[in-house]
Amino acid sequence: MNGQFSTRVITLMPVAIAINIVLGVTVQQVLKLPIYLDSIGTILVGVLAGPLAGALTGILSNLIWQYAPGIGGGTIGPFAVTAGVIGLLAGLWGQLGVYRSRPASGNQLIVAAVIAALIVGVLVFPIFNNPAYTDPNIGGYPSWVFTAIVVIGVVVALAIAGFILVRKDLAGFYVAAAGAITGIVAALVSAPIAAYVFGGVTGSGVDVIVAALRQGGADVLSASVGQGLISDPIDKTITSFVVFVIIASLSPRLLARFPNGERLTATAA
Amino acid sequence: MVPDFVLRPPTGRYHALNPGTKLVLAFAEAAIAFGVRGWTGPLVVIAIVVATATAARVGRSLVPFALAVIPLVASILLINTFLFPGATDVIAHIGPLAPTWTGLGAALQATLRVAAFALSVAVFALTTPTDDLLADLERRGLGRRGVFVIGAAIGMIPRMAERASEITDSQRARGLDTEGSRWRRIRGVVPLAAPMIIGALSEVEERTMALEARAFSAPGRRTILRPLPDSTGQRAIRWVAGLGAIVLVAASVAGILPVP
Amino acid sequence: MTLRMRDARYAYAGTSRQVLAGVDLDVEAGRVVAVVGPNEAGKSTLCLVAAGLAPIAIGGRLEGSVLLAGDETAGLAAHQAAQRCGILFQNSATQLSGTTSTVWEEIAFGPRNLGLDIGAIVEHVEGAMATLDIAGLAERDPQRLSGGQAQLVALASVLALQPSLLVLDEPTSQLDPAGTRLVGKALSRFAAENGTAILLVEHKTGLVARIADEVAVLVGGRIVQHGPTAEVLANPALAEQGVDPPPAVRIERAVAAAGRSGDLAGLDLAALEMEPIANPSLPIGAPLPTGTPA
Repeated sequence: MNGQFSTRVITLMPVAIAINIVLGVTVQQVLKLPIYLDSIGTILVGVLAGPLAGALTGILSNLIWQYAPGIGGGTIGPFAVTAGVIGLLAGLWGQLGVYRSRPASGNQLIVAAVIAALIVGVLVFPIFNNPAYTDPNIGGYPSWVFTAIVVIGVVVALAIAGFILVRKDLAGFYVAAAGAITGIVAALVSAPIAAYVFGGVTGSGVDVIVAALRQGGADVLSASVGQGLISDPIDKTITSFVVFVIIASLSPRLLARFPNGERLTATAA
Repeated sequence: MVPDFVLRPPTGRYHALNPGTKLVLAFAEAAIAFGVRGWTGPLVVIAIVVATATAARVGRSLVPFALAVIPLVASILLINTFLFPGATDVIAHIGPLAPTWTGLGAALQATLRVAAFALSVAVFALTTPTDDLLADLERRGLGRRGVFVIGAAIGMIPRMAERASEITDSQRARGLDTEGSRWRRIRGVVPLAAPMIIGALSEVEERTMALEARAFSAPGRRTILRPLPDSTGQRAIRWVAGLGAIVLVAASVAGILPVP
Repeated sequence: MTLRMRDARYAYAGTSRQVLAGVDLDVEAGRVVAVVGPNEAGKSTLCLVAAGLAPIAIGGRLEGSVLLAGDETAGLAAHQAAQRCGILFQNSATQLSGTTSTVWEEIAFGPRNLGLDIGAIVEHVEGAMATLDIAGLAERDPQRLSGGQAQLVALASVLALQPSLLVLDEPTSQLDPAGTRLVGKALSRFAAENGTAILLVEHKTGLVARIADEVAVLVGGRIVQHGPTAEVLANPALAEQGVDPPPAVRIERAVAAAGRSGDLAGLDLAALEMEPIANPSLPIGAPLPTGTPA
């Protein structure tokens, strides 16, 4: 058992990579949602095995998706950088114990739920309120875009608060925060790539958002950032929650065998 | 001694090139296609790629790869032609829409870049069996663990895809909504993702033990079954292609490359 | 002595309960020792401990002595244990590496990992294929085999390391009847012709009856009975310990209970390849339900 790249981690990574690719394709084609879910495996490996393993999982997923015969094609390769960053952050959150179950009850839960909802509000508000984004005369967004942002913000805030209260687990709050931060960073890293490599569009459904933003007069880079900031935090938050649910369902015996194992087992309330 | 069906000798001269050479060429082509701004970069790459494909007799097989980028190209053409920020040289007024020449130009350039990239990837994929590429990378220092991760991931994708469709089918039978409202579909994510992942994770323990039982963590280098010939000539090609690409991209970014 | 366990006690990592609570077991070259017992008795754990995978690959606490070809397993590296003991699990799909496109290369996976030279690799691979008579599968894609064939390929790939002990953890339990027959026959032949020591854990006592020299009964992490096969399997106490007696024994009892003297010597039960009856809780002596092979 040698550090971050033990045989167990080496076995886990291909499974995670395959999950990334298959889920990414399935969610787009079958569920037809504007989220990707193609970094579930990356975040899972990061949380279980550390930042380096997580980053590599992400990078390899993108490169394999791009270059492997039969499934290759598309334009996902250049975003390997983003995937690497997501894995790195996930490793960080894992080591900080973000994904550890923290059972709690009563007031603690309510406070956490409220703060989580407020944080979502805070994240959404600057986009909502910044005249550089909102005033069409100086290159802002058309009005339906920020209705969309408000709606998404409210829904996400309620979902997170609900998650915390129903599962009686403070971890929901930390996982949400980690997911949101990861999403924002991912959007900021991806935007220049999309803007300069592809002229701002990537061929997926989110191009609609880019189009809407451009129509408002935003330049290519801002449009990419704007699109990213709408889809990525939601996608990464949902992904982080799914990963958390899965990890919470694994037995401590199994978790103990992974490098980050101890930091993932629940502490007593 | 080692049977032929394991040795799998390559067919054709381009195919017989060392996988590392073909990989460097693919990366160089991608770099030039995206890094050299303007029309020349992508066009040159497309020319090189088509010539290579013809010489390697894989020309016809390029078609599916080319078709696969059509959705992206359509998106690029539409959005950039009609919505290019700051452009004023309108082609025609079509109702509320105002496509611009600048937009069209940018759109076409972006299309060429994407096409050049996709075709370069296609030629690489068609002339380089994954096994060979991985064996070569392992020999050059990637090691057995890197090779295993990549090889096993590629091998696992078809099986994982089957499992995903089994799960979607059984969830649909239980009422998973794949056509309904957005909220319903979001709720459908966890019942799809969780069983797939938990099923895959439960195999990780067994796979780990199976690897250890086959001496996977033995020290030293693994034996290579198939020698992959390399030559000084090919090494020269790799250096020229690699450095050349870097120089061209740098020159283009610095604005000193005098080509359209 | 290929495997020598003395007072072996083992608890998995992160737990305190000892799944093995003091096991003494010897397996000599050329002998087949079977281990039977109810669920949760620790049989799979016993396999992992015997093969050295516990604690080398999965951690946990091992106390007592486990000697594999003369060396304590706790002091071995995983690849050293792999060369002394091969282990076959139930699920053939997870034992194939998934990185090879032919069975030949799959079997060569182990020897390649050890860095053997090409001549030695060819010899090991072809030897393993010949032993199990699967040379005809050499060009096939390992991911497109039937369950039984895949299990044989998995077995060949551990035999390719030429271990002196082979541990089999319920090798046929996930196979359909055809696969069970295929693997059962191959194992019978292997046990009869090869000098490798074998430790077989099985639920299907039919296979045990055919190939095992001795049987040990494992209950609650301890061995409660150990003796020659015929003796242990005919012991009526077996059922109380949660183990189905093999078909031959069940038939004999049913025949005896029906009042006829049972001379079954003329019946080739192995050829019948019987499966456990559909209703294992049927009391001995009751008429068998129609439709059951009998």
